[in-house]
Amino acid sequence: MIAGIPLVPVILLDIIGSAANIVFAFLAWRYARSLSRRQPGNFVWGYLFYVTFAIAAFTISRAVGHLVKQFLLIAGQGEIWAEISPYSGGFNTLFMISVAAVMIFYHKGVQAYQALEHEAGKLKNANRDLAAVAAQLRDLNQTLEQKVEERTEELSQSEKKFRHLFSASKDMVFFSDADNRIVDMNDSGFEMLGYCREEESVLQLADILSDPDDRDAFTKRLFQDGYIKDLNVDLARRDGKVVSVLLSATAIIGEGGEILGSEVIAKDLTRVKIMMEQLAASEKMASVGQMAAGVAHEINTPLGIILGYSQLLMDDVQEGSDAYQSLQVIERQTKASRKIVADLLKFSRQSGSTREEIDLNEILADVVAVTEHTLGLSHIAVHRQFADSLPRIDGDPEKLRQVFVNLVNNAHHAMLEQGGGELLLRTRIENDDVVVEIRDSGQGIPEKHLAKIFEPFFTTKPVGQGTGLGLSVSYGIIHEHGGTIGVESPVNDQQQGMLPGTLFRVRLPASGSGHRQIADMYGATT
Amino acid sequence: MISACLRILALTPLVTVMLFCQDAWALQTHGGIEGVVVHQVAHIQYLGALGYLLWDIRRSGFAGVGWLYLQRFCWLMMIWNGLAFIGHLAQMNLPEEAVSTEDGYLSALLLPPVSFDRWVYYVTALDHLVITPALFVLFLAMRSFSRAAVSEKMEEGR
Repeated sequence: MIAGIPLVPVILLDIIGSAANIVFAFLAWRYARSLSRRQPGNFVWGYLFYVTFAIAAFTISRAVGHLVKQFLLIAGQGEIWAEISPYSGGFNTLFMISVAAVMIFYHKGVQAYQALEHEAGKLKNANRDLAAVAAQLRDLNQTLEQKVEERTEELSQSEKKFRHLFSASKDMVFFSDADNRIVDMNDSGFEMLGYCREEESVLQLADILSDPDDRDAFTKRLFQDGYIKDLNVDLARRDGKVVSVLLSATAIIGEGGEILGSEVIAKDLTRVKIMMEQLAASEKMASVGQMAAGVAHEINTPLGIILGYSQLLMDDVQEGSDAYQSLQVIERQTKASRKIVADLLKFSRQSGSTREEIDLNEILADVVAVTEHTLGLSHIAVHRQFADSLPRIDGDPEKLRQVFVNLVNNAHHAMLEQGGGELLLRTRIENDDVVVEIRDSGQGIPEKHLAKIFEPFFTTKPVGQGTGLGLSVSYGIIHEHGGTIGVESPVNDQQQGMLPGTLFRVRLPASGSGHRQIADMYGATT
Repeated sequence: MISACLRILALTPLVTVMLFCQDAWALQTHGGIEGVVVHQVAHIQYLGALGYLLWDIRRSGFAGVGWLYLQRFCWLMMIWNGLAFIGHLAQMNLPEEAVSTEDGYLSALLLPPVSFDRWVYYVTALDHLVITPALFVLFLAMRSFSRAAVSEKMEEGR
């Protein structure tokens, strides 16, 4: 027969379990509190903190109640426990309800918070995206600004470069619009055509392309090909003179394919043309010289025979008779013919010559001494600008004296009509050459004659006053000395600009300079 | 649906009071049994709240050892609440003469005949075998959360 089941295990378990419950509940709350403090923004930890707090409160209330009960009952104080018991039970109930309430209602708060946080997160993400887009836009804007700045600078540099190319070009560059109005032209263009910049607005293509054929060719080729390459045309200057140019142009095409205008570059060919003419003249002179030498050689012998026989006949007839006088005329004219032949031979460098070192200043001084009196009578003032310590040259002093006398005489004739003037004789050194310049202030040589003045028998003087061999002979002598002779009319003075008159420039190699050698000085035959 | 049921369960004390009220006087008197009823209802409410929490944890898909411990806590506490509810009923049905304290409180005996009610009373009186592990598991859950947060912070620090 069992007396009963002992309740002591229940009592002991109640005491130990209650104590352990207090410890575990308290520790759980501590960890939850630590979590919520570490991450205050985490609402889940906050929720667990309140739940564990409520559980700890309930557990302590219950455990303390149980411990008090057990100890009071063990101590035989059942009456006291009977008094306390309702309060303990009441608190337990209250905390139990609190735990349930916190668990459910606070959890709903957590859900609401999570929903809010979710929405806030979406808003935050949207804000972040917006901020990122704004930052991108800002960067893009900054980059764009920087790029615009860089491109503007590049364009500015490029514009500056091409503007300089346009304005500094020595060739004429201009732009014309669809109505063939010149809209922009560089300084070289204005200088070439003699217009001033103020006249640009009224300047038409037709004003400078005065030849209708040139104008038609220009327009036709521009419309046909869209460009023109190396069109040789004459442009009309403002003063009516003509400038020969080599013209290249490109049509400016609009988006619709229409021609909006043209870009034109024109190169002045005046100098090239003069050079070509001089070259042609030089070639011509060389052939004429050869021909003259041949003719002179053939004529010289019969002339000698005529002169010899006329002189023999003069011995046979009585002086003063008609026959004698006729023979004298024959002798004189034969001698004159022989002089012409001798001049022709000099021009063709077939005559004899001597060679020595000479000072051109001395030669010029001799020439001035001989001619100054005559020049003075014609009211021509002679100015000398002789370079000091002028290098000597190898040459024939007589022939060179003849050249300079010839040039001075020409200057004299040029100033004779205007009743006087000024004659400048100047010597200078240029590189290894000795340069002699003879400049008069006469009326100058017409442009059309410039290329012909060195041709044999070319003269503007009346018949009987000149043979037209003076400059030809001078040309031959200077070439014989390895030098050059050139003419400039009007005179382009570096200080005073264009001056009326004529300048002959003789350039001879200084002695021992190694320049052109006098090869045929002694090659004269008759 | 479950959420609605739990809400109704949470309001059970109020409903119970309203269903079983007797004299609707302005100042209601409270009989001796009322305290026990409220306590029992509180157990049911507590159990319901734990069930709700358990369902919500599982629904939210929280991963980690801490949440596993927390789920176990819920289960154990729900069992304890059920056990306590039954224990209170068993205690109320236990006649005073069923427990003898003649030899002192510590020598108290549950006297025969040991019927089912008396066995139920005895077993439910050992409820600490459930609630203490439940609170221990709660402690483990919180410690696990805390350690995870610390290591996470250290990871961020690196």
